[in-house]
Amino acid sequence: MAFDLFDPITWPTRRDEEWKYSDLARHLRITPRELEVSTDIAAPKLVLDGFHIHNVFGADYSGLEAAVKAANGKLWLRHWARGRLDGVAGFQNTGRVDLAAGEHLILFETYEGKGNYAVHSELEFTLAEGARLERVVVMDEPETATSVRQSTIDTAPNAHYVQTVISTGSAFQRFESHVTHAGHGAQVRMDGAYLLKNKTHFDYTTRLDHQHINGVTTQAIKGLVKDQAQVVFQGRILVQKGADGTDARMRHQALILNDGARVRAKPELEIYADDVQCAHGNTIGNLDENALFFCMSRGMDEATARGLLMQAFIVPVIEAIDDDQLRAAVLEFVEAKAGGFYGV
Amino acid sequence: MLNIQNLTVSVDDKTILKGLTLDVPAGEVHAIMGPNGAGKSTLGYTLAGRSNYEVTAGSAALNGEDLLEKDVHERAAAGLYLSFQYPLEIPGVPALTFIRTALNAQRKLRGEDEMSAPEFLKTTREVAKSLKIDMDMLKRPLNVGFSGGEKKRMEVLQMALLKPKFLILDETDSGLDIDALKVVSEGVNALRAPDRGMLVITHYQRLLDHITPDRIHILVDGRIAHSGGPELAHELEARGYDEYLGEAA
Ligand SMILES: Nc1ncnc2c1ncn2[C@@H]1O[C@H](COP(=O)(O)OP(=O)(O)OP(=O)(O)O)[C@@H](O)[C@H]1O
Ligand SMILES: [Mg+2]
Repeated sequence: MAFDLFDPITWPTRRDEEWKYSDLARHLRITPRELEVSTDIAAPKLVLDGFHIHNVFGADYSGLEAAVKAANGKLWLRHWARGRLDGVAGFQNTGRVDLAAGEHLILFETYEGKGNYAVHSELEFTLAEGARLERVVVMDEPETATSVRQSTIDTAPNAHYVQTVISTGSAFQRFESHVTHAGHGAQVRMDGAYLLKNKTHFDYTTRLDHQHINGVTTQAIKGLVKDQAQVVFQGRILVQKGADGTDARMRHQALILNDGARVRAKPELEIYADDVQCAHGNTIGNLDENALFFCMSRGMDEATARGLLMQAFIVPVIEAIDDDQLRAAVLEFVEAKAGGFYGV
Repeated sequence: MLNIQNLTVSVDDKTILKGLTLDVPAGEVHAIMGPNGAGKSTLGYTLAGRSNYEVTAGSAALNGEDLLEKDVHERAAAGLYLSFQYPLEIPGVPALTFIRTALNAQRKLRGEDEMSAPEFLKTTREVAKSLKIDMDMLKRPLNVGFSGGEKKRMEVLQMALLKPKFLILDETDSGLDIDALKVVSEGVNALRAPDRGMLVITHYQRLLDHITPDRIHILVDGRIAHSGGPELAHELEARGYDEYLGEAA
C-alpha cells in the first residue's frame, strides 16, 4: 500500500508529485479511528438480472475470491461504509481478483455510505492471456466521506481491460488505477464521467505503463463541475522502450458551470518507443452560449436547454458501457443526479 | 401582425440598427434585401432576443404583444421563429429529441398538453417526407456533419412542426442547390396562411421567384431605405444598391 490510513506520517501531501492537488494529509488532519464496520446496508433499489451480489463493508474484501467464483461472470460489489458522530471512522484493506486465461468478468462496483468515514481500499487485478474485465464503477458517496480507492491491473497479451468510473464526488475522493499494459493485442479503455457540485473533490488518476509492442489504449473522460467543487484529472501514459506500435489516445473534457468551480487536468505522455501513435486532448470550458440561444429560440426555457446540452455532453461516456443492463442502470443514475444538477 | 417602430440596436457599443420601422400584416410575406453588413441578421437576432443585442430605442410587437420584454423562449412560445443564417450544430442531441423537446417546451409554456411520442413521430414522418429528409438523418445529432443544404432543410422541418405565427428566414436559400431551393420554397409556401406572417431575408432574386413576396424592403445601414412591390427585386438585380447607399449616407 502506498500509505497507511492509520499512520499520519505516511499520508501523502502536496509535496508528493502525484498528490499535489489532492493533499490527503491536509484534508484528514486527525487520524481516523479503526472501528468495527457497520453492516446495516439497505437492500439494493436496483434490480440487475444475473448479477451475483457481494457486500464489501468498509474495505473488507474477505470472501471476494469465492464471490468471483460464484458470480459466473457477473459480479456486483456493493461497497458500504458508515461513519460515526464522534470523529472519523476509518477502514482500510486490500482485495484481489485473478482472472484465468480467457475468463470474462463484468464487475459492477458501487460505493455508498453514510456519515463521516474515511476508506482506503486497494484492489489488485491480474488478467491472464485473453481474459476480459469490464469494471463499471459508480461512486455515490456522501459529501462527508473521505474515500481513496486504488487499484492495480496487470494484463497479459490479448487481455481486455475496461473501466468506466462515474463519480459525484465527496469531501475528498480519489479513484486511482495503475495498469501494466502487456501489449501484443491487449486492449485497455479507461473512461470516466463526473458531476460535481457543492464543496466536493474528485480526483481521477490513471497510470498506464505500456511495456510491450502493439498495445492499444483509449481514454474518454467528461465532467461537469459547479459551485465550489474541485476536480483533478491526472492521466499518465508511459510507453517504454521497445513498446513499438503502441496506440494510445486520451481525451478529457470538462465544463465548468460557474466561477467558483475548478478543474485541474494533467495529461502526461512519456514515450520512449518508435512508431507510436499517441494523442491527448484536454478542453475545459463552459456551455456554448450560441447553442444555448439556438435551443431557447426554438422554445426551450433556459433550464431545459442547459439540461439538454449538459446531458448531451456527458452521455456518450455512459453509452460506451458494453453491458446493456449496466448501461441502462448508469444512465438512470446519471439522469437522476442530473435532475438537481442542471438548475442554474 | 409584426410592428417594428424606430428600432435602434447596438452590439458591443456599436450601433447597428438606426431607427428601423417596419410593418408586416398577417397573411403577408415581406422580403428584406440589402448589402452585406447592413444589419439584416441583427434584426432577426434582436427580435429573437439574443443577449448582447442591446435595444436602445424603439419597439417591436407581435400581434400587439411586446416582444422586447420577453425572454428568448417566451418569444418562441408567442409564435416567433427565426431560421438561422448559420444553424448551429448540437452534438449529442438527436434532431428528433431536439425538436420534440422544443415543441413540448413551447406547448407547456402556452398551457397546452404535450404531444405524445407516437403522434410526434407520425407528424414528423409526413413533414420529413415532403421535405425529402430521411428519417435516419433525424436520429443523428442535430446538424452535426450535415451539409449546408441539409441544415437549411432541417430549419424548414422545424418551422413546419413548431407551426409558429411569424417566421423570419435569414438567408434560408444560401447554400441550396436548384432542387433543394425548390423543395425548401415549397415547404415555406405551404406555411403561408392568412394568420401567419413572414420576413424573408435574402440576397437573391431567385428565391423570390419561388416565394413571391407582397413587399420588398431595402435595408441599408440600419434603416429601411426604400420599399416597393415584388418588381423591386428585378430592379435591384440589374442596378445594385448604389442609389440607396447614397440616400443612407
Ligand atoms: N459582436 C459584434 N460587434 C461589433 N459589430 C458587430 C457584431 N456583430 C455584428 N456586428 C456588425 O454589425 C453589422 C451588421 O451585421 P449583420 O450580420 O446584421 O449584417 P447582415 O446584413 O446580416 O449581413 P450579411 O448579408 O453579410 O449576412 C456588421 O457590420 C457586423 O460587422
Ligand atoms: Mg446576415
